[in-house]
Amino acid sequence: MNKEYTPTIGIEVHVEVLSNTKIFSHSINGYSDSVNTNVNIIDLGYPGVLPRVNKEVVHKALKAALALNCSINKKMHFDRKCYYYPDLPKGYQITQNETPIGFNGRLKIDDDRYIDIEEMHIEEDTCKSIHVNGKTLLNYNRSGVPLIEIVSKPVIKSSDEAVKYLESLRELLLYLEVSDCKIEEGSMRADVNVSVSKTEVLGTKCEVKNIGSISNVKTAIEEEIHRQINILEQGGKIVPETRRFDSKTNTTVSMRKKEVGNDYRYIPDADIPYVILDDSYIESVKKSLVMLPNERRKIYKENEISDVNIDKLINNKPLSDFLDKFIDKNINLKIASNILLGDISSYLNKTGQKITNTYLENKFIDIVNSLNEGKMSSKNFKEIINDCLEKEDTLENILKENNISLVSNEDDLLIIINKVLEENKNSVNDYKNGKDNAFKYLMGMVMKETKGSANPVVVNNLLKDLLSKDVN
Amino acid sequence: MNYLDLSIKEINKLLKENKIKPIDLVNEAFKKIEDNKDLNCFITLNKEGAIKKALELENKEVDNILFGIPIAIKDNIVTKDLLTTCGSKMLSNFNPIYNAHVVDLINEKNMIIIGKCNMDEFAMGSSNRTSFYGNVLNPCDKTLIPGGSSGGSAACVSAGLVPLSLGSDTGGSIRQPSSFCGVVGLKPTYGRISRFGLVAFSSSLDQIGPIARNVYENALLLNILCSKDERDLTNVETEKEDFTSLIGKDVKGLKVAIPKFYVSDLIDKEILDNFYKVVSILKQEGVEVEEVDMKYLDNAVCLYQVIALGEASTNLARFDGIKYGYSYDDAKNIEELYKKTRSEGFGAEVKRRMMIGSYLLSGPNAKIYYNKALKIRKCMSLEFSKVFEDYDLIIGPTTTSFPCKLDKLIDDANKSFMDDILTIPVNMAGLPGLSLPIYKGKNNLPIGMQIIGNRFDEKRVYQLASFIEKKINLRGENNE
Repeated sequence: MNKEYTPTIGIEVHVEVLSNTKIFSHSINGYSDSVNTNVNIIDLGYPGVLPRVNKEVVHKALKAALALNCSINKKMHFDRKCYYYPDLPKGYQITQNETPIGFNGRLKIDDDRYIDIEEMHIEEDTCKSIHVNGKTLLNYNRSGVPLIEIVSKPVIKSSDEAVKYLESLRELLLYLEVSDCKIEEGSMRADVNVSVSKTEVLGTKCEVKNIGSISNVKTAIEEEIHRQINILEQGGKIVPETRRFDSKTNTTVSMRKKEVGNDYRYIPDADIPYVILDDSYIESVKKSLVMLPNERRKIYKENEISDVNIDKLINNKPLSDFLDKFIDKNINLKIASNILLGDISSYLNKTGQKITNTYLENKFIDIVNSLNEGKMSSKNFKEIINDCLEKEDTLENILKENNISLVSNEDDLLIIINKVLEENKNSVNDYKNGKDNAFKYLMGMVMKETKGSANPVVVNNLLKDLLSKDVN
Repeated sequence: MNYLDLSIKEINKLLKENKIKPIDLVNEAFKKIEDNKDLNCFITLNKEGAIKKALELENKEVDNILFGIPIAIKDNIVTKDLLTTCGSKMLSNFNPIYNAHVVDLINEKNMIIIGKCNMDEFAMGSSNRTSFYGNVLNPCDKTLIPGGSSGGSAACVSAGLVPLSLGSDTGGSIRQPSSFCGVVGLKPTYGRISRFGLVAFSSSLDQIGPIARNVYENALLLNILCSKDERDLTNVETEKEDFTSLIGKDVKGLKVAIPKFYVSDLIDKEILDNFYKVVSILKQEGVEVEEVDMKYLDNAVCLYQVIALGEASTNLARFDGIKYGYSYDDAKNIEELYKKTRSEGFGAEVKRRMMIGSYLLSGPNAKIYYNKALKIRKCMSLEFSKVFEDYDLIIGPTTTSFPCKLDKLIDDANKSFMDDILTIPVNMAGLPGLSLPIYKGKNNLPIGMQIIGNRFDEKRVYQLASFIEKKINLRGENNE
């Protein structure tokens, strides 16, 4: 019976923008520093002070808006949103009501699925109130921290899709370096609007505010759908209200009934003149955008990198950024991704180094090609990885220093191969009977016999040759 | 010897020649303030600070014309370590840790801040009677209001307590009291002077400006108040100019417009007659004076109520008893703290204006009133621009009537706005406007005339003002 109901979900996401200073003052943007240390008279809303607009924040917001395929408000202003609350020092929040920096965008969450973005605007965060023993303490470090709010259209159809949307959004903003998107630390927060309906007409929506993790978003949406259907099934009516998610009981709890539209008495902020984003500026920001996750996925897939490795790469932006430098260098990206995620990652994790601080880049092409052509085995690479990352020297010299050279002389190798074939007649027979595994076994025996010093490519060719002769 | 009655030029000469010291000026100013205590021009005196500064200056070279000159500052302009009350109980204990930009500039020039001037509460009023600290008397007739909101700033210059003061003007708050007290007050072009540290009333209209005994000294003060301030995004960067440079220059050939609205029958007949006396002098001297029709001017008061009060309702929202200023002690919850703090901290006029402003922005009203007002404001601005295509300056009276008795009941809140119909349009269009005392009217009361310039054309305003000042033998002086 419940299947007849279709849920409709819209999500508002607040994201803290990474910046040196706050959005309207020169205070350090460092909410997590010692309480009330990153504060000045502007953040406190002292009489007579005026806001200044942080260009870095506008720049990052524009990046995000463009990456979300938004249309841009080239002449935008800021508005005052008025309400009284102790965490709001001026009695109004400076936000963008009439001219959000971006509107009508969309975000790809799956091969053929896009979520429409209603608008994206810039605003300031409030200060943080902490309630202790019946008292309220205020931390103004957060007052004036730059935020962007991204509002989706009510087009999300399930909790799973909501999760995908949030994950895609998070990935995108991380790649743009707009935000660190640490949901658990509050630098990314989601409010979800949920309604259910049996018809084309949308049902009455309820808002669940400030959900602290993506998995809680999923639970909250599912609980809210369930709650609303139950009410409707019992002949009840949904009351528009603001609810919060209680992570202890995994339910949503009513906070307050919604008035008929909140009366925020919006007014343009006359202290801030229009901000003009001209075409050449927008164009230059567009050009400066890094390759976004979806684009990278596509290229990785085309280069036969496994799905598991694609996810690992996307989740490790420094490695992905490193790999991107070699995308048009005509190397085997599959091998490249394997060593990046394998031996190189282990080295970086062990030493706590950043990949950009090693000497890998200048010899990476040689390493991948040598592995590809069999001039070096993966065992060899393991042996010299420290040298490769710590020394500026060429791969060739490093191999020499370590006395590593693979036996490629066919005459020498033939003696060994013939010996192996002689000793493993069963496997030879298996191969002739079509068991491909036998070939790998024979390969392995040759490598074992040469203690790994044989050039695997040469061995491979010789072995194939000999066995095919034998077949005939 | 009354040194403060001398011109600034003469004082400067005496200081340079070491015949007097800054402390002599400071002592004299405080003596005069004491002798005229009944005027109630000041909320806070900077006695200790001023004396300290004056003594410090004895070891310094007299390096500019305003060196050592006493100045009074309107109490909505923030001064570090000197109470800044805005004429309100709400900020009765507010001792700022920062200076307004203009105060920094005044300190740089080594002027001496004597005290903070009485004013209508949060600059809301035009009689100085809404001040929490009592009304100011008009030095020209102590039974009359001095005008407002910069009543203290105009009265202290008029009474000769200090030669210069700063006021602020949102709808006429410098020009109207200057007219009532017989001094020269300028509201500069919007954006000319940084508003950083001016406690906001209406952000898109507020502007700080100088009040002086004559045109030349007014221009001297403006000279040091214009310096680009990164902290105010509405502050316009302009080339450094000397606003006295056209003073004393011939006005022949200047084209001047009188909007018919400024000489309508709403204006007191005696004021008009005296205004026309000036007009005929100008014509004799070869100034081309013509009456012009201007649309939209009669909307000015409505626009002011919607825009100024709308903005004010948001600007004054920060006074909530949490961070600074008055705070109700015994609140049981946050709701009560807000209610009691704001009910007890603000006076009746401020509360009335905030209620109107909040109503105007509430729900659908913002679109009906506020957005519409912005459109008409733009039309009014364009109307001024059109006149300035053909004319150099616009002139008219500053006020519609003479100052009323101090004890006259304020029975009609609307009426008090109507007094400002000639000054408000200038704020709406962001233009510079100056009030200049001309002849004396009944009971020897001063009459003010207004000279309005094109944006950033203060120089031209001063040129005509100083010419008239000299012609009708006021205490003017030339830039020589």
